[in-house]
Amino acid sequence: MSIQIRYITKSFGNFQALKGINFDIAPGELVALLGPSGCGKTTLLRIIAGLEWPDSGQIIFHGVDATSRHVREREVGFVFQHYALFRHMTVFENIAFGLRVRPKATRPTEHEIKEKVLRLLKLVQLEWLSDRYPPQLSGGQRQRIALARALAVEPKVLLLDEPFGALDAKVRKDLRRWLRNLHDELHVTSVFVTHDQEEALEVADRIVVMNAGQVEQIGAPDEVYEHPATPFVYQFLGDVNLFHGRVDDGWAKIGEADIRLPEQEVDQSDSALFFVRPHEIEVNRSNGNGVKGIGAFVRDIRRYGAVVRLELERTDGDGFVEAVLSREEFKANTVRKGDEVILQPKRIKVFPQAAEPAPIDYVI
Amino acid sequence: MSVLRKNSVLPGFNLAMGFTLLYLSLIVLIPLSATFIKTASLGWGGFWQVITTPRVLASYKLTFSAALIGAGINTVFGLLIAWVLVRYEFFGKKVIDAIVDLPFALPTAVAGISLATIYSTKGWVGQLFAPLGVKIAYTPLGVVVALTFIGLPFVVRTVQPVLEEFEVELEEAAASLGATRLQTFLKVIFPTLWPALLTGFALAFARAVGEYGSVIFIAGNIPMVSEITPLLIITKLEQYDYAGATALASSMLIVSFILLLAINLLQWWGQHRHTKH
Repeated sequence: MSIQIRYITKSFGNFQALKGINFDIAPGELVALLGPSGCGKTTLLRIIAGLEWPDSGQIIFHGVDATSRHVREREVGFVFQHYALFRHMTVFENIAFGLRVRPKATRPTEHEIKEKVLRLLKLVQLEWLSDRYPPQLSGGQRQRIALARALAVEPKVLLLDEPFGALDAKVRKDLRRWLRNLHDELHVTSVFVTHDQEEALEVADRIVVMNAGQVEQIGAPDEVYEHPATPFVYQFLGDVNLFHGRVDDGWAKIGEADIRLPEQEVDQSDSALFFVRPHEIEVNRSNGNGVKGIGAFVRDIRRYGAVVRLELERTDGDGFVEAVLSREEFKANTVRKGDEVILQPKRIKVFPQAAEPAPIDYVI
Repeated sequence: MSVLRKNSVLPGFNLAMGFTLLYLSLIVLIPLSATFIKTASLGWGGFWQVITTPRVLASYKLTFSAALIGAGINTVFGLLIAWVLVRYEFFGKKVIDAIVDLPFALPTAVAGISLATIYSTKGWVGQLFAPLGVKIAYTPLGVVVALTFIGLPFVVRTVQPVLEEFEVELEEAAASLGATRLQTFLKVIFPTLWPALLTGFALAFARAVGEYGSVIFIAGNIPMVSEITPLLIITKLEQYDYAGATALASSMLIVSFILLLAINLLQWWGQHRHTKH
């Protein structure tokens, strides 16, 4: 089922949580609402679910306005961050809940309920837990049961509010891979909220990046990561170094350093923000051969996994820079703590500061 | 005990446990055992005779049934009051919250006299019922009214915190799964509340069984009709029949203890059913 979100606004008292949100979700898509806490992503999800009412705007399910429909009639499955399992019911009864509360005319028989619940338990790979109670389960198990419970009513849309937020890193990683596979199997239109960019990048078909009640960018994960539309998106997705400076005739002027800007659209700007990813910085020993770049001292070196992380302090005292080198790069160009080095961005993204604010509405 | 002491990070186990036992003995166990010792002077035959006279049996019936009815009424309406206090915001909420505690604070005699006045056939409330042929004051009904009055705070105060902690998400989850409000209440909210309700019921009941001050003013104290057991005990004491008084006290104590134990077991069962391994 497709979802159209039309100019949704919502205020809580004086706080404007959503400022005209407008985008579409295609049938069978897995969309991530990504943003920092307080950006309105959960409010938007709850409005889609019918747990919250917008001040204005419409939610359209499959071409039909569902804005005034009660959550009971929206046919959505909602998965809560803290599971919201019914503690006094067994896992089996939790999953069967949505079937048992149906009016008599549409309620499945006891046999059908049993069959369906067992099928769902198999789907979430927890058949052996059917007569346990929620407090006896681990967090990851609880969330999978919560998902099975939501799926039992055969929702047209599956909505997940920070589904893995309360779990530890390892379980979170396993579960999001599992969710992706499950989605590929079921193809139910799904929206999940997260503040974890890695989670969004790894799981979603499309990411909606939100900030301060507005949509910053919508796109496929690699598109959003590789071509951030706004400084906010650049900073929010992945680690990044931020430099202040100006652009003069295709050259970036950062502090004392001049850096050639290759194929940049910006030629001139008195004030600009430059973004450089830590792995897109070249670190060279300063041996006075006139290489132009940003001077820095090596303050800390940390090796883990396949990379070496350097913490660098700029020689002009204008803050710290983080650089990530592969082990090979590091070996080829050994630097030690305390060395003075020259930093050269391999890729640089410029946002002139006087630029217009990001457009509010995206219609895809 | 020694195992607990060795492995516990909390210091002072011996001291704390010793004090607890001493305190409980002084305040609860010794007075209560004195009751039984005094009763024992009657012997089994005498004891049985004292506690089974028709007048005493009628008072048991009244005391326990009125206490049960009062606690039952409080359970229903206490839940309602707690619900209103937790779920809604309205003008004067703090005042209502404070009024709930009044039956705790009021001297029972004051409560008894006011209730008797209000519910008598000429009183504010009593005169409304008089034309219907319903007499409240000086009848068993009056006893129920008094016991309901003094038991109210127990249910409200035990249910209120549980309701406050109830996660709204559970209700939202139920609604998103298609449950109606009634189904949500019966299948999701009520099962969470009932241990607290039961506690409140037990407390209100225990308080009502032992209540004396407020009841005697409104009950009329007609033998075989509206005479409660605590009054009979006082009567016996006034007649210097100490053994008889303690015999009645012991019998009440045993019945109350069995009832409270049963309620506690029910509660324990309710709570541990979900966590057994």
